[in-house]
Amino acid sequence: MDDSICQAYEDEIQALEEEIGLLTEKYKDIQQESTFFSDEEILKSIKSLQRETQGETEGHKSPSDLKTQLESLETDLSFFTTFTGFQFASHSKKTLERTRNRTVQKHRLSGKCHSLSFQLEFQLLEMQNNEKLSGVVSDLSIIMESREDSNVSKFVSSAEEHGNLLTFFRSLSTYAGWYEHRRLTFLHFK
Amino acid sequence: GVLAHLEMLEFQAHREAVEQEEKEKRKEKSAFLRAKIRELRLQRDQLREKLELLEKAQPGKEGIPADPALPSPREVLEWKIRNLRELLQVFQLTGISGKLSKHGICFCLRTAFEGSFLDSFHLELLPRPESREFRIQRHSIPPFIPLEQLSRKFLPSDLRGFLDVLFQHLNAFVGRRHQLEQFQEQFSEWIQGIPHCNSLCNLLSFQYRIPGKSGNSVFQTRLLYGDPCRSLPTDVAGSCSADPSPAFPEHSELFRRLALPRAFRAL
Repeated sequence: MDDSICQAYEDEIQALEEEIGLLTEKYKDIQQESTFFSDEEILKSIKSLQRETQGETEGHKSPSDLKTQLESLETDLSFFTTFTGFQFASHSKKTLERTRNRTVQKHRLSGKCHSLSFQLEFQLLEMQNNEKLSGVVSDLSIIMESREDSNVSKFVSSAEEHGNLLTFFRSLSTYAGWYEHRRLTFLHFK
Repeated sequence: GVLAHLEMLEFQAHREAVEQEEKEKRKEKSAFLRAKIRELRLQRDQLREKLELLEKAQPGKEGIPADPALPSPREVLEWKIRNLRELLQVFQLTGISGKLSKHGICFCLRTAFEGSFLDSFHLELLPRPESREFRIQRHSIPPFIPLEQLSRKFLPSDLRGFLDVLFQHLNAFVGRRHQLEQFQEQFSEWIQGIPHCNSLCNLLSFQYRIPGKSGNSVFQTRLLYGDPCRSLPTDVAGSCSADPSPAFPEHSELFRRLALPRAFRAL
């Protein structure tokens, strides 16, 4: 008899801990998504942190840790930008829903692939099933400057139709690469 | 006699002491759990309040910001770190992304079919500047994908080309497998028996009937996906138990043009 009461308490504790976890994530989401710091502010913060904690290494991650992490991420991003040709100018997102297994986020992304610019908006639903992470794209809307080019408008419309974000990026990559190659070839012969 | 009686009394006293001890323990545990619950509820309620205030203080809405304190430099950097991580995650959605490792590059190839992102595959390449080669250190590419062949054809001079073609193979394979899974899930009553498929999912055969339309006739179909980089079949063959079936060429055409689940929806 006592055992079942203890079990009920333990179940409630687990539920509360989960809820606290989710609420904390939601809070962090909103804070992250409603803030923006410019590159100058980032540099200022790096300098001020280095000054502030010269020699102090207790508690939190040391400033060199944060700086190292930041640099490593920037290096990765820079490498893949150069390698793939995709350069993202701006990215903002808003978390619409977050539960234990599901996250729904609305993304706004702008950038270019080689010399072709694009602007996208889409909604991404991510789910965790067992060990598998899957994502479903919906409400995809694509704006491209060169939409009058019939090749571009073809793959843009077909991507929007089925929320086919990946095909859009792959087709854009191929087309932009070819376009760039042609452009450079013409330049060469000028 | 007396000794036996004394023993019994001792035994009883001992048992009562043990029971009493257990009762105390349970009471302690119960009190501990209740205290923990009170503490967690308080924490949860505080978080809910904080969240409500923050939601109301969104820019453009009325209300005083809950926490107007300036962020510390550490908080600014942590924001930027999370921001960059999220951008790298978005990069994944382009299909070919990854990160740099100590000695090389870890590529992440994320596949998708129509609007659904599916499996990710990983490939770690180590550049060997002396021999001007790329060595594949580790990978999670399934064995029926011609990784070896492709690397011999493209590497080391054309890394981009190698990844593009590898990606096409993987994406088409996952797309075919996904179509089969969706088709089996959505049209389970139409399918007779068990569909047969090879590991590369480019040879598929199954039997089906159309409830309400085909009566007792059963269609037998074999789909061959001749191009490993495509997720639509190049060859459709089949027959019908009720011969001759005028419907079959129509079905054939649908299978050639549309993804499997969509083709069935059109039947």
